[in-house]
Amino acid sequence: MKLGANLIIGGALFLLAIVVGILAPWIAHTDPVMDANLMFAEEPPGREFWFGTDAQGRDIYSRVVHGARISLTVGVFAQLINTIIGTALGLSAGYWGGWWDDFVTGLTNLLLAIPSLIFALAIMAILGPGLTSLLIALGLTNWSFTCRLARASALSLKSQSYVQASKVLGYSHFRIMLTQLLPNMLGPLIVIGTLGMGGTILAEAALSFLGLGIRPPYPSWGSMLSEARDQITTAPWLSVFPGMAIFLTVLGLNLLGDGLRDILDPQSRSRRL
Amino acid sequence: MMKRAVLAVSFALLVAGHADAQTPRKGGTIRMTAPYGTNISTLDMHTTPRAQDDIYGKVVHRTLYNYDSEKGAPVLELAKSVAVSNNGLTHTFKLRDDAYFHNGKKMTADDIIYSYTRIMDGKRAFAAARWVRIIKGAVDVEKGQASSIEGLKKIDDVTLEMTLTDRVDPGFYFYNGNTAIYPAGEADKPEFLQKPIGLGPFKFVEHIPGSRLVAERWEKFYKPGMPYADRVVISIMGEAPARDVAFRNKEIDLSILGPAQYVAYREDANLKNGILEVPEVFTRHMGMNLEFKPFSDKRVRQAINHAIDTDLIIKRLVKDKAYRATAWLPITSPAYDKSRKPYAFDPEKAKKLLAEAGYPDGFEFEWTTSQNESWGLPIVEAVLPMLAKVGIKVKVKQVEVTVLVDLRNKGEFQAFILSAQSGPDALGALKCFHSATPMTACNYYRFKNGEFDKLIDQAGQTENAEERNALLRKADGIIYDEAPVWFFNYNKAVMAYQPWIKGLQANATELTHQYPEYIWVTESSPAK
Amino acid sequence: MLAFAFRRTLQSFPTVAAVALVVFVLFSVIPGSIATSMNDDGRGAMDAEVVERMRKELGLDDPVHVRFTKYVTKLAVLDLGTSFRTREPVSQLLAKRLWPTLQLTLAAMAFAIGIGVPLGFVAAMRPGGVIDAVSMVTAVSGLSIPKFWFGLLLMYLFALKLGWFPTFGYGGWWYLILPAVTLGVSPLALLARTTRAAVLEVINADFVRTARSKGMSETRVVRWHVLRNVAVIVLTTLGLQFGSLMGQAVVVEKLFSWPGIGSLLVDSVFQRDIPAVQGCILLIVLFFLIVNTLVDIACAAIDPRIKYT
Repeated sequence: MKLGANLIIGGALFLLAIVVGILAPWIAHTDPVMDANLMFAEEPPGREFWFGTDAQGRDIYSRVVHGARISLTVGVFAQLINTIIGTALGLSAGYWGGWWDDFVTGLTNLLLAIPSLIFALAIMAILGPGLTSLLIALGLTNWSFTCRLARASALSLKSQSYVQASKVLGYSHFRIMLTQLLPNMLGPLIVIGTLGMGGTILAEAALSFLGLGIRPPYPSWGSMLSEARDQITTAPWLSVFPGMAIFLTVLGLNLLGDGLRDILDPQSRSRRL
Repeated sequence: MMKRAVLAVSFALLVAGHADAQTPRKGGTIRMTAPYGTNISTLDMHTTPRAQDDIYGKVVHRTLYNYDSEKGAPVLELAKSVAVSNNGLTHTFKLRDDAYFHNGKKMTADDIIYSYTRIMDGKRAFAAARWVRIIKGAVDVEKGQASSIEGLKKIDDVTLEMTLTDRVDPGFYFYNGNTAIYPAGEADKPEFLQKPIGLGPFKFVEHIPGSRLVAERWEKFYKPGMPYADRVVISIMGEAPARDVAFRNKEIDLSILGPAQYVAYREDANLKNGILEVPEVFTRHMGMNLEFKPFSDKRVRQAINHAIDTDLIIKRLVKDKAYRATAWLPITSPAYDKSRKPYAFDPEKAKKLLAEAGYPDGFEFEWTTSQNESWGLPIVEAVLPMLAKVGIKVKVKQVEVTVLVDLRNKGEFQAFILSAQSGPDALGALKCFHSATPMTACNYYRFKNGEFDKLIDQAGQTENAEERNALLRKADGIIYDEAPVWFFNYNKAVMAYQPWIKGLQANATELTHQYPEYIWVTESSPAK
Repeated sequence: MLAFAFRRTLQSFPTVAAVALVVFVLFSVIPGSIATSMNDDGRGAMDAEVVERMRKELGLDDPVHVRFTKYVTKLAVLDLGTSFRTREPVSQLLAKRLWPTLQLTLAAMAFAIGIGVPLGFVAAMRPGGVIDAVSMVTAVSGLSIPKFWFGLLLMYLFALKLGWFPTFGYGGWWYLILPAVTLGVSPLALLARTTRAAVLEVINADFVRTARSKGMSETRVVRWHVLRNVAVIVLTTLGLQFGSLMGQAVVVEKLFSWPGIGSLLVDSVFQRDIPAVQGCILLIVLFFLIVNTLVDIACAAIDPRIKYT
């Protein structure tokens, strides 16, 4: 891929998704929840309803557009939680070493061993469906790669001379971690974060498919896909549009992540995770 | 039974002249599907109340009674005749002497006594206990105070005397698949779970959990000439679109249709002649907690029934795959009132009633629901705007079905939406609204109505079927008027079947519960 | 080597123990129980007395420390308990599902490796070229697509329309193809990208340039250094993917009626069959650890430079 092509296309797709989400109330003129008219149930795409209507008679275009808000919120914030937890644990583990490192490594192995979908499923079953539960479930179960990365970076960075110098100068550990180590590992972290967002959006779709996702009637792409699955052979437009929305957004995030990686770390030894 | 065989033969003779011979062909494989989930939960019928497991139950096992779809009532299966005592409590069965278990052993009264006693084992939890408890002395076994059921007496190998605690028709209790008869002493051996032994027309061959169950013809089955088919394969397919593809690809013979496929199949020239429709004995409803202040007023409950355009939801959302509910009892019930009109869609009237009851600006309630497509979230979503129009705001609480059931049984809800069995036993169904019925048993709504109680008590004592049904009809009318629930619909079960499958029964209790001995496969089947 | 293997195996025990603990805690607090889940089709009814007895029989109401002790003591003798749902030993339940699960996972992996790795190689040979672009876009797409959507598409196209494969079921290897492809498409994408990156990394590395300048032939350079580097990275990725693959198999198993552990696990979660859930998760974790230990050994064998702390 030509350098930069990834970045441009990926960035554009992702930006499109965000803009659509932000501008939702202005670009979609019907309410995605309350404007349900059973008289127009399951209409194929046409002049009045660009993407058709769903089984409740709601405009799919409107639901996809508003769904962007929820799906992106899940993707962005769940990944943010993942990144914060993973970075905090990995950075401190790599820096301090010793028993803390052993503990964090053990915890990471634990998380890697339990399939994250199942873990998230169990947490959702306990907390009940809903946006906050989803954020908690996804945020708590996907930080292992970030942690490993942060730890590896911390390990290699802490032997650098400027870090040693700071120690001699009496900087506190916390200050060293925050001001010396963290900025130098932002590159790979951003890359992993971007790629991870795609993963959390797909995970939301999977959880909705299994019955424990966003609480309807609020639209999220994943729950729209799940609601439409019985009609895949009879009313395919119900699943095509939210499916395409997921696909394009995740594709955009993946391309963006690749593009960022090419720019920030061209000689990276990163194992493509 | 002999009668069935005679009927089958005479019917065959009647149409013998027809070019398309209707004589059952021997041979072939019946390929059924188990559509209600991703597994058959257990091979031990006594433990499970699930419809999915009874699909296998009807193939490999037998119960004292079968459900006769044409009569709409239970009929004797493992017995040739029954004599009832004057007080209506003691039933003496003359059992079949030609029924053999799959291990070759002949069935006797001992096996029935063994099976029912096992079900009442107080240390184990068998779902079938619910039915066997009607026998006198069963409760004592359950409590550990007796080791055998007092009301079950073996007179001789083929004569069984059963005394009940209540004047009811034992058929309604012992046609249920989880009261299956096992060979005495076998059921608690560990091999039994791997290779169950029953009295059914097909004997168990293999079970690949999560995928399929296979059974083959039992040559010593007691109905002459039956079963017709060589094998039965039950494939577990919980996803409707997957079943759709497999059916069109001719890989399965029977498939339950959801609303979306119902429309598609009805409009497809190749498929529309292979659809079996049956009004089932389940009432879908929104149950209300009558102790929640707004719901304690009858006018509020009636207002809700008026505010919802039920017909539109049935037509558009459920795609006409249901019948409008006019009260609690289903259409096939002999106590159903054909003349009663359902609540009219009248939002104005609803607003008036609400104002009269003291809620001119409406009120808010929490509605607990599952994700189920027929009696869950999609229905709630459709109703939301309709209630909003008359000022009633709804907070949706979505939980898994198992949690919903838990909450309902504990009474921790303001309103819930579910499907409940309302037949074929009309008296049993209406008893749930009797004030003496505890909330944990099935009076979840805390319904109390003196007149209703009197009618039910009377019906329980009435021997004459006509009179009893008249009383139950009246009682149903009270339920209609008092409206402790929003009456949604009675399910229309729809099953697609391939043109080479004959002999299906229109079973209103559950369309997938087919007695496979009557089904045969013609030459045109790819699995002949 | 042997010592290394032994040490690694020993290090796995705390992880297994931790998983057992986490699973126990998680499923102790989950609402609902096997008794209430028996009514989940809205048709069968469980009356209150039977529910009570069920709770007693299965020990659902025992205090936490009693349940935990029972659990741990049983686990110590490798007894996974009895399924709440079928009343058979959990180990038996798992044994029946083991082979189908392995079949599906291994087939998916074989598919992913067989197509993904060569794809990555080809893409890396001419970076920036047309093949590179096309294969990478395909790869990224593979990572972005919701699985059950893809599976249904395959089913519709290859089974219904073309009639090449059966739509569902478990039988000979013919039945394995569509589920394996559906499951394997995202590890394929990942491997393609990883292989490409690994190859590029090595080809541009200093020591390769040195080897080239010394006059080593092109093919030998490629064959030796690149393959070795790629092998290590591919193996590591595979190892990490294995666990998530078994979890992701759930969706595929449900769609194709494939009798694997994934669907058993999810069903058991929904039906609150706690012993079965615990057994499944422990089995998956065990697999994951075994596979990763083997991967680590293999990597150390291929590339002795790799040191594992």
